[in-house]
Amino acid sequence: MLTYDPDDTLAHRLDPRSKLGVQIGFAATALAHTGSRALLILSVIAALILLAARVSVLRALYAYRFALVFLGLAPLLAGLTLGSPWFDLGDAETSARASYRVLLILLVSAAYVRSTPIRASRAAIQRTIPGKPGQLLGVGVSLIFRFLPVLQADIRTIRDAMAARLGDERGVVDRASTIGLLGLTRAFDRADRLALAMQARCFAWNPTLPHLSFSRLDYPVLALAVVLVLSALL
Amino acid sequence: METEGSSVELVDGDVVRQFARAAVLAALLGAVAPVAIPLPLSPAPLTLQVLFVFLAGLVLGPVWGSVSMLLYLTAGAIGIPVFAGWEAGLGTLFGPTGGYLWSYPVAAALIGAVVHRGTDLRDPAAVPLPIVVVALVMGTIVIYGMGTGYAAWLLELEAWEAIAGFALPFIPGELLKMAAAIAIVQSGRIEPIQS
Repeated sequence: MLTYDPDDTLAHRLDPRSKLGVQIGFAATALAHTGSRALLILSVIAALILLAARVSVLRALYAYRFALVFLGLAPLLAGLTLGSPWFDLGDAETSARASYRVLLILLVSAAYVRSTPIRASRAAIQRTIPGKPGQLLGVGVSLIFRFLPVLQADIRTIRDAMAARLGDERGVVDRASTIGLLGLTRAFDRADRLALAMQARCFAWNPTLPHLSFSRLDYPVLALAVVLVLSALL
Repeated sequence: METEGSSVELVDGDVVRQFARAAVLAALLGAVAPVAIPLPLSPAPLTLQVLFVFLAGLVLGPVWGSVSMLLYLTAGAIGIPVFAGWEAGLGTLFGPTGGYLWSYPVAAALIGAVVHRGTDLRDPAAVPLPIVVVALVMGTIVIYGMGTGYAAWLLELEAWEAIAGFALPFIPGELLKMAAAIAIVQSGRIEPIQS
């Protein structure tokens, strides 16, 4: 599983906003180009980004193994044809190039995940998106971070209780609706208590945020983001 | 030390309650990502994420249902492991299953709009069954349409190839999830917040 890893690499010292910019720029240009030269340049950039965040490529690939199944499946599906020649290499190659650029996009986002704590991303969201939508998005994301382990424990408890009562031998719909109903009622009980607690603590549209600032390092990275976005139009 | 003087602008009680539910539902969607129930005679196991997309539209309504799904996507994009298989990162939103993820807010809004006929919430247990079924079928079509359409464009596949790889293995599970969503809503144990 990919998560934030405290470290002192170049990527860790950058402002989250410039890193988000680079990711979006990289994705935009990778989605626009599948030529051999473009793929080579994108590979080099991706490798540099991974190096800057000291991401282990093997760990990142393992974290994205489910996506890799689909990426590996695509060229096979594209190549298979009904009737002669049964497997069309040209189609498979086009699809393989397309899959490869997606792999690069995934690896670049692994660098962001490893080098950025959630609270910094939250501050970046709240400062970049103006007004109430930004506030709700920022607070909502930190609530998800807070409640994810709690709800995972709830779901585990429900499944254990079901298994103890041989609930795992029942029909699929029965099991799905039991987990869904119990998970949702527990979650909404928590949400209602949370809402009461937030109101008691004066939940406001204008809270105080952690300090974020661009350093000298951030300007070249921002420039790279702009170049990447513009290169999508080439 | 820096200080800032400004008046506090409190959030309305109704908004806080709906927002708290939206955020918790988004977290729940992340928590059930690893739950997989094996289906007889099907290569793909039943995962519960789409069930909670249905429930977001049914219980939270068109506005807060889609807010909840947007929160889920944002949380995943900045690195909280909420996507299927504990994945996280902006890359997943552009990855092979990205189209499915982007369809969640649209599907939740559509289901909510059909079931609640607007932004004022009704008790979904009191809504006639055919309307709920139509809403869920429309939501499923949106999810699979966007999911396979995006995969076909991204990986340069033809329509039937994308459908064979990204939709057909999951269809039996979808029907069962609709049945589960209807059973949950009809139980009447979950009440929407009516303002």
